[in-house]
Amino acid sequence: MANMAQVMRSRFEAFRRLRFHSPWFYLGEGLIWMLLICMAIIEVAPILWMFSTSLRDPADSFKLPPDFLPTSWRWDNYLAVIRSEKINFPLFFWNSLKIALIVTGSQLLTCSLAAFAFARLRFPGRDFLFFLFLASMMVPAQVTTVPVFIIIRSLRLMDTHWALILPAMTSAFGVFLLRQFFLTLPGELIDAAKIDGASFFRIYWQIMLPLVGPGLSALGVFTFLGSWNNFYGPLLFLRSWDKLTFPLALVTLQGYMGMGNRSHVLAGIMMSIVPVLIFFLLAQRFVIRGIALTGLKG
Amino acid sequence: MAQTAIEEVQRLTSTAQARARREMRTLTQERLSGYLFILPAVLLLIVFLILPILASIVLVFTDYNLLTPPKWIGLDNLSRLFSDKRMMTTYWNSLRITIGATVLNNVLGLLLAMGVNRKMPGVLRYLLRTSFFFPVLITTASMAVVWRFILTQDRGILNYLLQQIGLPPVPWLSSVRWAIPSVILYDVWKSCGYLMVLYLAGLQGVPEVLYEAAKIDGASRWQLTRYITLPLITPTAFFCIVISLIGAFQIFDNAYVLTEGGPGDASRTIAMYIYEMAFKRYEMGYASAVALSLLIVLVSLTLLQLWGSRKWVHYE
Repeated sequence: MANMAQVMRSRFEAFRRLRFHSPWFYLGEGLIWMLLICMAIIEVAPILWMFSTSLRDPADSFKLPPDFLPTSWRWDNYLAVIRSEKINFPLFFWNSLKIALIVTGSQLLTCSLAAFAFARLRFPGRDFLFFLFLASMMVPAQVTTVPVFIIIRSLRLMDTHWALILPAMTSAFGVFLLRQFFLTLPGELIDAAKIDGASFFRIYWQIMLPLVGPGLSALGVFTFLGSWNNFYGPLLFLRSWDKLTFPLALVTLQGYMGMGNRSHVLAGIMMSIVPVLIFFLLAQRFVIRGIALTGLKG
Repeated sequence: MAQTAIEEVQRLTSTAQARARREMRTLTQERLSGYLFILPAVLLLIVFLILPILASIVLVFTDYNLLTPPKWIGLDNLSRLFSDKRMMTTYWNSLRITIGATVLNNVLGLLLAMGVNRKMPGVLRYLLRTSFFFPVLITTASMAVVWRFILTQDRGILNYLLQQIGLPPVPWLSSVRWAIPSVILYDVWKSCGYLMVLYLAGLQGVPEVLYEAAKIDGASRWQLTRYITLPLITPTAFFCIVISLIGAFQIFDNAYVLTEGGPGDASRTIAMYIYEMAFKRYEMGYASAVALSLLIVLVSLTLLQLWGSRKWVHYE
């Protein structure tokens, strides 16, 4: 028994020698963890409240004290929103998805083509053009929206999805981001391929593109989310109810349903977030790496 | 023997010529491909980015309401800028939002990043990082609707919680005093995780060796933070502050949905003012003038920060 205690003590001593921390250290450590967990709760609480209220009887949606965890599971709120003929929810979903996919696909193609040329091919005017795009990235959106609005109007594209797609089909940011990736690849790859007589398009398509996968994923995620979350564009260009995309539709819905039917509005917002959540869980690595690389919001 | 030598020379020169020819060909080919590769992006960027920037500079000198042809009015829009009280108000609002949001976002972002960067179980780190970051991805405009429910005065959740701890309810969205703090609160809730990711990247770039060496010299944790971590992430911090300033100055979505710029003009940002001038009153020329003034403000702010950064940013 005494022996046992001795062993324990010697072990404890060894442990203390290994990491000589005072009790204060552990207290501080515990405090920091507590604070972090509190912050995490504050960040998640509004989302949890939205989720649980969207599953409540609409009459209970004003309930105080608020419940942050679901108290009932009224999935029919969701069905009511989806089926409502006034709102036409599946259509918003389809509009949002269609625009986001077209814009993302187009940006991946145009930006990677241009980025490859800016990074790896020599032609007169290359650096001037690149600098021009780089400088134009600094210009706030408010400066370009007025003329873009005039252009879209004169092309007779008001109240069509093209008004949102065309200006977003490529971006200076995307060219810049992918160029960084192309520059990290060894130049010998291209020289070797040239000697083997491969055309530049083949070099780009078969050799370079597979190697900048992470860059493409990062740009793809940014572009998709940027388009999915775009509120300003639809606000300017879309007028008719059946053309709307999620963000504008949901904000309009809130005004349209007044404060009476909170559960339905929240169910709608929840449904617009689910794709983003799935997307994020699938592509978390790329999102975070992309942000760390560039520091720009999509 | 001589025969073979001549043949050899011939062979060599011919291949040299052939190589030169080939290189010329690839060079023109390279130029041509280069132009072809950038063509789609360049065309689109010229039409939707470069030309609009130039057009807005021209628009400044005109009076254009989309219905009648633009009228050339010279410098009238510019002189109007200097006497526009509402513009000054919205600039002042934007400045207040920018200062509040930038300070809070960067302080919180850095603290969260340092917190998540500590030794902890991987699962906990993943959960923390995800919960801090997730709000960043949610649509600003839609989530602002949820925050309206949280901030409403009489049956809002936040006021209920404040009353629980004995504080009076606050008219968050309906009073001149609290409208801007509400916009800042929502922006910080939404964006601090974004800055956390940026700071995290900076923290992970600090060489572990430095900490090891300092520990051997018996440095305390506070000293490690003060003399290694903070100086080494100043480039990251500089970058983050520039980015968040530019972003906060252009806030539109959250103020538009949360407070609709109200009460009165109490929380109307400069971006909302430009929107109103251009797309509610169709004063395209004047809206361009205000937008360009914003560009000048942002560029000067950035240059000012660049100039100031020499004093506190340490590049190795």
